[in-house]
Parts: sequence; C-alpha cells; structure tokens
Amino acid sequence: MRLAIADDSGLFRSSLTLLLEASGAEVVASVVSGAELLPAIVGDPLDAVILDIRMPPTYTDEGITTAAELRRLYRHVGVLVLSTYAETSYASELLETVHAGVGYLLKDNVTDVGMLVDSLGRVAAGETVIDPTIVRRLLQKDRRPGALDSLNDRERLVLRHMAEGRSNVGIARELYLSPRTVEAHVTSIFLKLGLDQVDTENNRVRAVLTYLRSGDS
Amino acid sequence: MRNSLVPPGRLSGGGWQGYRDGEPGAAWHGRHLWVTAAATCAAGVFSALVQWPNWDGSSALAGVNLTTTMLFVFTGLMLRLESGQRSVAWALVFAGLIRSLDFADAWSGPGWAIYVFLFGSVDRVLGAYALLRYPNAALRRGQRWFLILLTGWMMVGHVVMLVTARPQWDGLPASAWWPALAPNMTVNDVANYVVNAGLGVFAVVFVGLLGLRLARTAGLDRIVITPIIVAGIASTIAAGASAVVQMLTPLDGTPAGIYTVEGAVDLTLPLAFLVAVVQRTLLFRNITALTAQISGGADIDSVRYALRSTLHDPTLEILDLSETGSSADPVDGLASDSGPPVPVLPEQQGDRLVEFIRTEEGGAPIAVVLADPALGRYRGLFDAAVQTSGLALKNAQLQAQAAREKLQQMRASRARIVEAEVAERRRIERDLHDGVQQNLLGLAAQLSLAMGQAGDGPARETLAQVQDGLRGVLSELRDLAHGIHPAVLTHGGLAAALGDVAERLPLHVRVNVPATRVPEAVEATAYFVACEALANVVKHSRATTATVTVHIAESELNMEIADDGVGGVESRGHGLSNIQDRVNALDGEVAIVSPPGGGTRLEVKIPCG
Repeated sequence: MRLAIADDSGLFRSSLTLLLEASGAEVVASVVSGAELLPAIVGDPLDAVILDIRMPPTYTDEGITTAAELRRLYRHVGVLVLSTYAETSYASELLETVHAGVGYLLKDNVTDVGMLVDSLGRVAAGETVIDPTIVRRLLQKDRRPGALDSLNDRERLVLRHMAEGRSNVGIARELYLSPRTVEAHVTSIFLKLGLDQVDTENNRVRAVLTYLRSGDS
Repeated sequence: MRNSLVPPGRLSGGGWQGYRDGEPGAAWHGRHLWVTAAATCAAGVFSALVQWPNWDGSSALAGVNLTTTMLFVFTGLMLRLESGQRSVAWALVFAGLIRSLDFADAWSGPGWAIYVFLFGSVDRVLGAYALLRYPNAALRRGQRWFLILLTGWMMVGHVVMLVTARPQWDGLPASAWWPALAPNMTVNDVANYVVNAGLGVFAVVFVGLLGLRLARTAGLDRIVITPIIVAGIASTIAAGASAVVQMLTPLDGTPAGIYTVEGAVDLTLPLAFLVAVVQRTLLFRNITALTAQISGGADIDSVRYALRSTLHDPTLEILDLSETGSSADPVDGLASDSGPPVPVLPEQQGDRLVEFIRTEEGGAPIAVVLADPALGRYRGLFDAAVQTSGLALKNAQLQAQAAREKLQQMRASRARIVEAEVAERRRIERDLHDGVQQNLLGLAAQLSLAMGQAGDGPARETLAQVQDGLRGVLSELRDLAHGIHPAVLTHGGLAAALGDVAERLPLHVRVNVPATRVPEAVEATAYFVACEALANVVKHSRATTATVTVHIAESELNMEIADDGVGGVESRGHGLSNIQDRVNALDGEVAIVSPPGGGTRLEVKIPCG
C-alpha cells in the first residue's frame, strides 16, 4: 500500500512512518502540512493519505479542508484523518465534506497497528471509517427510554458496524453472516429507529451518527 | 401725611416684586422701615387727637383704639410691599384710621355724631375686604357681592335710623342740628332691630365665607392665611356680640366696656396679618431643611418629594429633561425666562407655574418644574427651592456620571479578564495538544513498533501492559485538554460544541443553536454555563429531556436551558452562583424559573455587541 502522511509533529510522523513500513506499507511522502502535501504527491499514484486534523497554518481544521481538496483532485485516493478529538462534530463535518473513501480515527489507534492498516485499506477501497471509540461511546449513551431498546443484540451489533462505516458486505464478513441476512437486519434497524432509507453508505453513516448523537431521526 | 407714606419710585411701574430677588428681608430694611415707623407714629398721634375727650373717663377704650389704629396702619404699610396686595394694604391702613375716627363723637358735636352714625362701621367693611381678599389677586364674585350688600345694608339702615331719630335720643341737646325728617320712636326702634339683626346675618354669612376660604385654600397659602381667618372669625363674633348688646340697649345706654372688648378682639386682626407677613419670611426656613435633605445629590423622585413637601404643593411635578427631553414629543416651544425655547413634555403648562432648572447660566435645562400658580406669590421661596433642587440634581448627575464611568471601567476590565482567561485556556489546550499529546502519541507508535519487533515472550507482555497504560493516559489527557478548552468551540462555535456536549450526556438533549459566531469570551461563557447547567440537570433534576436554545440578536445572546425534571431549584444554590458569576463577568443576566414538580428553566442573557 502506497501512503503519504501530513502531520506537524515530527516525532509522531516518523514513528508512524516506521510503524506502517514495518507492517508492509510504503510511505512515499511525509510532510508537515496539507499545503506541502499536495505538491509532494503530484503524479504519484497513492492508495491512501493520512492527515492530521490540526496542522499549520491555522491549527484548526486543515485536515478536513485538505481532505476535501484531495478528493477534488484524486477521486480514488482514500483519506484517513487522524485526530486527538473524540468529538463527533469533527467526524460529521468530515463526512459532510468528503462523501466516500474517507475515515476519522483517533490517533490513539497507533497502539493498534492492525486496526490502523485495516482502516487504511477500507478508505482505499472507498469505504467509510468512523473510530470505534466514538461509536462505542454513542451507543453506550445512557438513554432513558429510547428506540434503541427495541433492537435485539444482533441488530445492535449490526448498528455498531454501520456506525463505524462498514458496508453490508463488510459487516457480513465481520460477523460471519450472509450479506442477505445483514441486509434484512439493516432494514429492520431503519424501520425500528424510524430512519429514512438512504442511497449511499456515506449517507447511511451520517444518518446513523446523527441518530445516535441526539436520539432524533 | 399721605404723601410721606409712599416711598418714591417703589410703587410705580408694576409694583414691588415681593421677595423675588432672593431678598426675603428686603421689607424689613432701610428706608421702608423708617417710613413705616414714621407713618405709624403719625397714625398714633392722629388717633390720640381724634378721640381726645375719651382719655378722660374711657382711657382704656382710648388706649385700645390707639393701639389698634397703629397696628392696622403698621401692618398695612408692611403689606404694601407684597406684590398684588396694595389694595389690601390701603384697606388696612384706612380701617385703622377710621377705627379711631369712630370715636370722634366724644367731641360732642352734632356733626361728629352724625358722621359716626353714618360711617361708624366703614372700618368693618374695609377689614372684611382685607380678610376675604388676602393673599389672592382678586375677590371672588360672591365675596364682592357680599361686600356690596353689606355696605348697602349699613348705609341704608343707618340713614333710615338717622332720619327717624331726634338728637336728644342720642344724648344730644334738642337744639342740635339733626336731619330729623320723620322722627318716629317706633319706626326708629324697629329700624334699629332690623338693621342690627341684618348685620347679625351678615356676620354669620361672613364667618361662613371665611371658613369656605380656609377649606378652599391649600399649600403655603393655607399656612399663611390660617391666623388671619381665625382672627377674622374671632373679631366677627366680637362685633356680632357687640351688635346684639347695642340692639338690646338704648343708644345712650351702651356700656363703654363693650367697645373696649370689641376693640381688643379687633386688635388680633392686624396682628394676624402681621403674623402672615412674618410667616412668609419664615417660610425660607424650609429652604434650609430642603438643602439639608437633598443638596448632597438626589434623584428626580427625591427632589420631587422634597419640593412638594417644602412648597406644600402636592400637584408639583418635576420632569427630567436630561434624558427624556430630546425624545419627548414637544408640544410647543415654551419660552423660558432665559435662553431659547425648549420642548416640554405634554402637560397643561398653560395654567401652571413653569421653571427650568439649568446647571449653568444659559445652558440646556436638565429639568423643568411645573407647579401650582399660587406659588407665584412665593416667588422668592419657589426660586430658592428650585435653585437648591438644581444643585441637588447636578450633584446627582455628576455622581451618576462618575459611577457610570467607574462601572464602565469595571465592566471593561472584567470583560478583559474573561477574554484573557479564555485565551489562556486555549493556549494551554494547544500546548497540551501540540506538545505532550503528540509526543506521547509518537511514543505510543514506537511502542507498537517495538511490540511488533519483540515477538512472543515475556517482554511482549510487559510492553502490552505499558501500551494499555499509555492508552489510559492518552484518554485522560484528551479529556483534560477538552475540559480546559474544547477545541471544537474555537473551530465550530457554540452549535458544534454544545452538540458534542449533548451527545455525552445520559439524557435526551435537544440543541437549537444557530451557527452564528459571537465573540470568543461570550461563546466560552455560554458554553461553560450550558455545561454547568446540564451537569446540574443530570445530577439533580431526574429529567428525561433537556433543551438548549440559543438566540443571537444583534447585541445580545439569549440562552435557555430547560428540562422536564422535578424543579424546585434554589436560586441561591452553589451551581447557580457559579453560573451567575460567569454571566455577571460579562455584564449579563441570569434568571431561573423552577417550580417544584414543574421542571427548571434557566435563562441567560449576555451582551455581545
């Protein structure tokens, strides 16, 4: 897998590069900002790009604006935004800005290289990735009587994977189910939560996230 | 003698202006006093000579008459200095002179007797005029008719009595000249009864008129006229009693004592007028009280209260022109006694006494006083009171201005403190994020690498433990940084930050917050207030739903946090005082509505102009 990294922390960048290369990836560019990234990857076919969400010059949301710019220039390059913010608002904003092959992961996941590589593979394949920590927190949110109570255990599991951005096929693979079974569960979940059917996976993730955040459909 | 009573130049051209120029004692000083004293002495000599024979035998009566005449003349001359009261003054002077002239029949000539018979009671009419008129500008119609009828009754009655009598019935020699056109004892007796009975009726009506005057008069006038009215009623009763005695006894049998008593009572009349004159001067003591009350600076309401009580005018109104003047609907340009026309609030100023208060000569008025026109007679007092009020208002204005400036400085400095605190929190969060967090994450990545290289063995287990610990530290550090200052607030504003807060809470929270951005300090304050309030909701309210609603107007952020919990929140609780402090620091307001069992609604207003 050919990758590029943009992150303003030198120590983190070099450690991450070593880690990814040790797991078989090829890091073709390692830069400190989104502005330096774009010229560095011109004409170099990449599978995915890792972006820090907060980079020079404004140190706010360069990761998201760079992701949008990348998607505009390279339709098929996966974009994985790494962040120390466990707030859903950033993830939502990212999903609104980039519609496919995009992921939002907490930087803590560098402790789980398998998960990191898996996420890179998914965004490279055009899937969506939402950090499991965030999804777990949203699901654990203690709702007083809520629609989630009407889901059975299997459906809850499917819902979690949906929220993490997996496709029906991806969920089927994870849970050792047939895609048709997953599809049936998804339909049931949407019905029970009162969500409208959606056309794309990105929209599905956003709808589920929005639902989980507020409890409103 | 008469000419010497008139101080040259003083009474010409519109008359003396009373105490207008803030010289309450003007009447008591200088040439006036000498002229008055001389004229009074002259009146005394006149009185002594006119009733000369009385000093033998009836010296008590003569003494009373002398004193009464002198007092009447003196009082009349003092009163002459009051504006609009010249006729009253002259009425008193002549009443005093005629009073002694009434006893000129002691000279025992038929001419004197006839004079006394006809004109002996003119001093009463003059006194009644003074009593009914003072201190008004004119008589009422009823009062005028009363005087005309009284004079007519006395004249006609006395003429009838005169022409039906013979001189010897009045104790004169039968040879004395007497206009006895139709002498008839019976007719004369009947006339005597009828005339005196009529006078009794007049006396009763007069007492009624005086009582009516007292009832109709209010304010300072009442204070001034009360002694006059009381003295008037007393002397009327005395005159009535005297008339009854005269009616019941033959003309030559009237005891001299009755005249002495009546004269002594009449003495109270000029004394009462004198008290009134002095009273008006003494009213200036009120100014001292007023000054003590408000001169340190007072608001318009205190000044209104003080002016009303000082000037005894409950209808007095004082309007603040410094704030309302420009925005008020001007009725018409009202010319003041100095300076350009000034718009005044709609009021019936037509029949009101209007005085503007200025802080400096020719400056814009800061207030206007509208008062009972009766106070025009106490112009000096009124002006002094208004002047004192002006000082008080000016002082209050200066104090308010100083307080306002201080408050503004304090607000500005509090706002700066809040801004500095927010900036500092943001800096700490950024330092944590860019320094410790990134370095730890770098180490975590290296640890992962080391674990990959370590292969299976005891070292890997140890590394796994270190990794777990590191995860915990990273998670704590993330929460710490977020608690210090949520980056999402800077990046995404209130809407995004409150959305993230809501998703962490164990109850359904509706967030209706516009994406509009406001100054950082306001955003941060609103954010922390919402967090604190929602934490309270979670901890205490047992609510299932909470709503955070924010409206951002041009210059104000309004936030409402409502829940459907148990309510009954004390407005002085600790959590609330935290909120109060934060909001107050930006000059905002907090209100809480929390009926037991009815949920809680916290309303916060923060200016953000």
